[in-house]
Amino acid sequence: MNFNLLSTEIATALFGSVLLILSLVTGKDARRGLGHATLAGLLVLLLITFTQYGINSGGFSGTWILDDYAVFMKQVFIIAAILVVFAGKSYVEDFTGNCNEFYVLMVFALLGMMGMASAGDLITLYVSLETMTISFYILVAYNLTSGKSAEAGLKYLILGALSSAVILYGMSLVYGAAGTTLFAKMPPVSVASPVLLLGAVMLVAGFGFKIAAVPFHMWSPDIYEGAPTPVTAFLAVASKAAGFAAMLRVFLGGTPVAPDNWLGIIAVLAAITMIIGNLVAIPQTGIKRMLAYSSIAQAGYILVGLMAADPAGVNGVLFYSMIYAVANVGAFAVVIAVERATGSDEIAVFGGLWQRQPLLASVMTVCLLSLAGIPPMAGFVGKFLLFSAIMDQGIYWPAFIGFVMSMISVYYYLRVALVIWRDEPKDPAPIAVESGMRLAVMAALAVTVVLGVYPAVLSDLSLAAAKSFFGM
Amino acid sequence: MNFSPIAIALLAPIVGAMLLIFIPKDERRLIRWIAAFSMGIALLLSLAAYFMYDFVKGGFQYTISIPWVKELGITLALGADGLSLPMLLLTNLIGFSAIFASWNIDKRTKEFFILLLLLIAGVMGTFVSLDLFVFFLFYEVVVIPIYIMVIIWGSSKRVTKEYAGMKLTIYLLIGSAFLLVGLVALYLNAYPAGQRTFLMSALAQASFSESFQIYCFALLAFGFGSLLSMFPFHSWSPDGYAGAPTAVSMIHAGVLKKIGGYGLLRIGVLTLPLGAKFWAPVIALLAVGNVAYAGFIALAQKDLKYVVGYSSVSHMGYVLIGLAAMNVIGVNGAVANMFAHGVMSALFFAMIGWVYERTHTRWIPDLGGLGHQMPRVATGMLLAGMAGLGLPGLVSFVPEFTIFIGSFAAYPVLAVLAIAGVVITALYTLRVLANVLFGPRRAEFDDLQDIKGPEMVPLVVLGAVLILAGMFPWYLMDMVNAGVQPIVDTVLAKVSQMTALGGGVK
Amino acid sequence: MTIGLEHYLAVGAMLFCIGLYGVLTKRNAVAVLMGIELMLNSVNINLVAFNRFVAPADFVGQLFAVFVIVVAAAEVAVGLALVISIYRLRDSIHVDDLNLLKW
Repeated sequence: MNFNLLSTEIATALFGSVLLILSLVTGKDARRGLGHATLAGLLVLLLITFTQYGINSGGFSGTWILDDYAVFMKQVFIIAAILVVFAGKSYVEDFTGNCNEFYVLMVFALLGMMGMASAGDLITLYVSLETMTISFYILVAYNLTSGKSAEAGLKYLILGALSSAVILYGMSLVYGAAGTTLFAKMPPVSVASPVLLLGAVMLVAGFGFKIAAVPFHMWSPDIYEGAPTPVTAFLAVASKAAGFAAMLRVFLGGTPVAPDNWLGIIAVLAAITMIIGNLVAIPQTGIKRMLAYSSIAQAGYILVGLMAADPAGVNGVLFYSMIYAVANVGAFAVVIAVERATGSDEIAVFGGLWQRQPLLASVMTVCLLSLAGIPPMAGFVGKFLLFSAIMDQGIYWPAFIGFVMSMISVYYYLRVALVIWRDEPKDPAPIAVESGMRLAVMAALAVTVVLGVYPAVLSDLSLAAAKSFFGM
Repeated sequence: MNFSPIAIALLAPIVGAMLLIFIPKDERRLIRWIAAFSMGIALLLSLAAYFMYDFVKGGFQYTISIPWVKELGITLALGADGLSLPMLLLTNLIGFSAIFASWNIDKRTKEFFILLLLLIAGVMGTFVSLDLFVFFLFYEVVVIPIYIMVIIWGSSKRVTKEYAGMKLTIYLLIGSAFLLVGLVALYLNAYPAGQRTFLMSALAQASFSESFQIYCFALLAFGFGSLLSMFPFHSWSPDGYAGAPTAVSMIHAGVLKKIGGYGLLRIGVLTLPLGAKFWAPVIALLAVGNVAYAGFIALAQKDLKYVVGYSSVSHMGYVLIGLAAMNVIGVNGAVANMFAHGVMSALFFAMIGWVYERTHTRWIPDLGGLGHQMPRVATGMLLAGMAGLGLPGLVSFVPEFTIFIGSFAAYPVLAVLAIAGVVITALYTLRVLANVLFGPRRAEFDDLQDIKGPEMVPLVVLGAVLILAGMFPWYLMDMVNAGVQPIVDTVLAKVSQMTALGGGVK
Repeated sequence: MTIGLEHYLAVGAMLFCIGLYGVLTKRNAVAVLMGIELMLNSVNINLVAFNRFVAPADFVGQLFAVFVIVVAAAEVAVGLALVISIYRLRDSIHVDDLNLLKW
C-alpha cells in the first residue's frame, strides 16, 4: 500500500484531530490563537500538495486516484479555506459562546472535499461527500443565538440529506447495472439500460443540488443568507468546486452510460442555470442573496465545461474553479467586513464605501467584474476557456447563452459598484480593516488581476491537470 | 527590440493614471497638469509616428511582439499601418483636448482624471493591437470607466444619468457578446488545435468556408455595428451622449465609435471577404437608414446634445455605405470620414460643454445670441457645424465626396439617397447654429465669460486640425490610402479567386 | 414463485417513495428526518440485493450498505441536535414555523 497517495489527507485528518484536542484543552480564551494555528496548518497543507504533482497513480484497489487533477482541485479547496479563515477570523471571534470547533469543522469539511476530488469508486465518493456535507450542516447553524442561522442549518440538513438519498439511490442503480463501484472498471455500453439511465438521472439531480444548478437551486439563497458569512463564502466556493470535482469523476471518469444519454441533460441544465440564475439575481436587494444567485449562474458556466467532456473543457472547469473561488471569497470578504461594521447585509449599506474604505471598494469592484467576466479580470479568461471548449466541437448555442447572459449579469454586479462609487455614505466613519482581512482581500485582488493579464501561470498548470484526468 | 513610439504613447496615459493614484486628492492643479502632460507626450509621439511612417515600406511599422500565452496563441503584438495611424492620431488629439475640456471639474477630480486616462489608453490600445485577443481586451477595458464616469459626473436632463449609463453599457456589452462569439469562432476555425493563433495577420491568411464566412460576419457586423451605432441598433448613442460628461461624449463620439468601423474593416472584411460581400448590400441599406432616419430625428431635437448625438448617428451612415461599397475609393472615404467626423464631433461636444457649464442649459429655445457674449465658443461651434455639413476647405469635404464617388459605383440608388441626406444635415445644423449663436443679444447672458486660458485648448487643437486637414487633405488621404489599398486588394483578389474556383458566390 | 431481484428492487423503490412522501408532507422536523432514514434504508436493500444477484463475487454492495448505515447515523445525530437547537430558540419544531428566511 502506497500511503504517499494519502499524505495530504492523512495530514489533514491529523491536523483536524489536533485542532479538536487543542480547542478542548484551551477553552474560550484561546480563540485568537486557534485561528492562527488553523492558518499555519492550512499553509503547511498547501505546501504538501505541491509535492504531490506528477505522481499520477491510483491505489487501494482502485478506490483512490491521485492525479494532477485531484491535486489541483485540492489546492482550490485549501486556498479557499485559507482566504476564508483570513477574512473570517474576527467574525468568528465575535460569536458568543464557544467558537473553537468552528475551525475543526472547517478542516474536516476540507478533508471531505479532498476525498471527493480523489475518489476512485462510489463508496469513497459517498463517504467523502457526507463528511463534507455533515460538517457543513453544523457550520451553517453555527451561530447558536441567531434564529436565521439555526433555521438555515435545519433547512440545509433536510434538503441536503434528501439530495444525498437521491444520489445514493442513483449510485445503487449504477452499481447494480455495472456490477462494480470502481469508476475504472465500469464497462462502456453504447445502449443504456433503463436502470442505468435512471441511475444517471438521479446522480445528475443529486449533484445538481450540491452545485446549486437550476432547478435544484431553491435551497441556496436561503442558506447563503442565513449562514454565518464566512461559512457562506466557504459553502459557495469550496463545496461547489468539490461538487464539480466529484461530478467530473463520476460522469467523465466512470459512468458506463454513453455520453449521448446524459450530455443532453447536462446541456439543458447548464442553459437554464445560466439564464435563471442571472435573471433572478437582478431584483435582489440583499448582497448575500444576490451573490447566491450569481453563484448559481456561475455553476451554469462551469457546467458548459463539463458538457464539452474533453481536456479543453476540463481545463476550463479547473481554471474557472480557481478563479471563481478567489474572486467570490474576495467579494464575501468585503461583505464580512461591511457586515461587521454596519450590522446589515443590504446592498444599500455599501453606499459610499469608496470614502469609508477605498481598499474594500476596489476589491469588491474588481471581484464582481471578474465574476461578470469583464477583461482584464481573470474571470474573462476562465469563461473564454470554458466556452471555446464547447465551441471547438461545433456547438455554439451554449457559448451564445453564456456570453450574452454574462453581459446581462454585468447589470446587477454594476448596481453594487454604482452604490459603492456614486453614493455618499450615510455614516462617514471609516471601516477598520484588520491585518488578516487586509491580506485576504489584497490576495484576492492581486490574483484576479494578475491572472487576468497573464493567465499562463495558472493555465499551464490546469491544462496539465486536465490532461492527467484523461490519462494523457 | 527597437524603439516603438506607439508603445510609449500607449504607456503614457497608463503611467499618468498610476502616478495620479499617489497624488493627494486636494492637489487639483497638479492632478490636471499631470493628466495633461501625459496626454501631451502621447500626442507628440503619435504625431511623430504619423509623420515618420515609411510609405515606401508600407505595411505595419513600429511593431512589437511578445509571446503572451503560448498555449492559446496569444501574442502581445502592437503595430500601426495607414489604417491605424489616423485613428491613433485622432485618439490622442481628442484625448488631449478632452483633458482640457474637463479642466473645471471639481467633483472628485482625481478619480475623474484617472478614469479618463484609462479610457483613452483603452481606446488607443484597440487601434494598435495586432492580436485579436489583445484587441478585445482593450475594447472591453473602456466600457467600465465610461459607465462609472457617466453615473458620477453625468447629467440628468431628459433621461437620468443612471439610465443613460446603464443603457450605454448593456448595449455595448451585449454587442460585444456577439462579437466575442464571432471572434472565438474565427480563432477556432482558422487552424487546427495546436497551431491556433489570435494574430490578425495569420487569421487573414486562413481560408474559411463560405457558409462560415456569412454566418460569422453577421456576428461581427452586429457587434461592431452596434458599437458604430448602425441603424437600428443606435438608440444608446444619443441617450448615452446626453447623459455623459463632456469628455466622455467627446471620446465616445469622436473615437470609441470608430472602433466599430475599424474592426469591421480590419477583422470583418479582411478575414471574411465572402461574408462581407454577402452582407454588403444589407449594410448599405441600413446605412441609408442611418443617414435619413437619424437626420430627420435630429431635425426635431431641442436639446443641443441630442442634435449632435443624432447627427453623429447620421454621419456613421456615410462611413457604413463607404465600407459597404468595397472598393478602394469608397473605403478610403469611409476611413477618412471617421477621422473627420471624430474631430468635428469632439469639437462640437466640447463647445456644448462650455455653453452648458456657463448657462446651465442645453435647451435650444432657451439659448440665443451667444455669439455676442462668447465669440470664441461661437467660432468653435460654427467651425464644427460647417465641417459637419461638408463645407469645402474643411476636413470632411474630401472624405464625404470620396465616399459618394465610391458608393455611387456600387449602389447608385442608395448613394443618391445618401447624398440627399446632406440636405437634412444642412437644415438641422444651420437651424441650431442660428438659434443658439445668432439673433439679438440677450441680457441674461451678459455676465457670461468666454473661454480663456487652458479652456481654449480643445478649440485651438481641434479647430486647427479641422482647417489644416481641409486645406491639405493629401496628408490624410495618402496615409489612409496606404492602409486601405492593400486590404481592399487582398479582399478583391480573394473574392475573385473563390468565385473562379467554382465554389463561387451563390 | 421464486423471489428474484425485481422483487427486492420493487420493495426498495416503494420504500424510497414512502420516505420521499414523508419528507415532503410531514410538518414535524423529526418526522421529516424519519422519512430520510426510510429513503436511505431503501438504498441499503437495493445495494444488498444487487450484491447478491449481480455481483456475488465480492462484498462491495454489503460494504457500501454498512457505510450508508454509519453515515446515516451521523446525519441523524446532527439533525436531532439541530432540531433541539431550533426548539430552544423557537419553542417549535414545525417546519412551517421556519419562516425567517424566504423559501
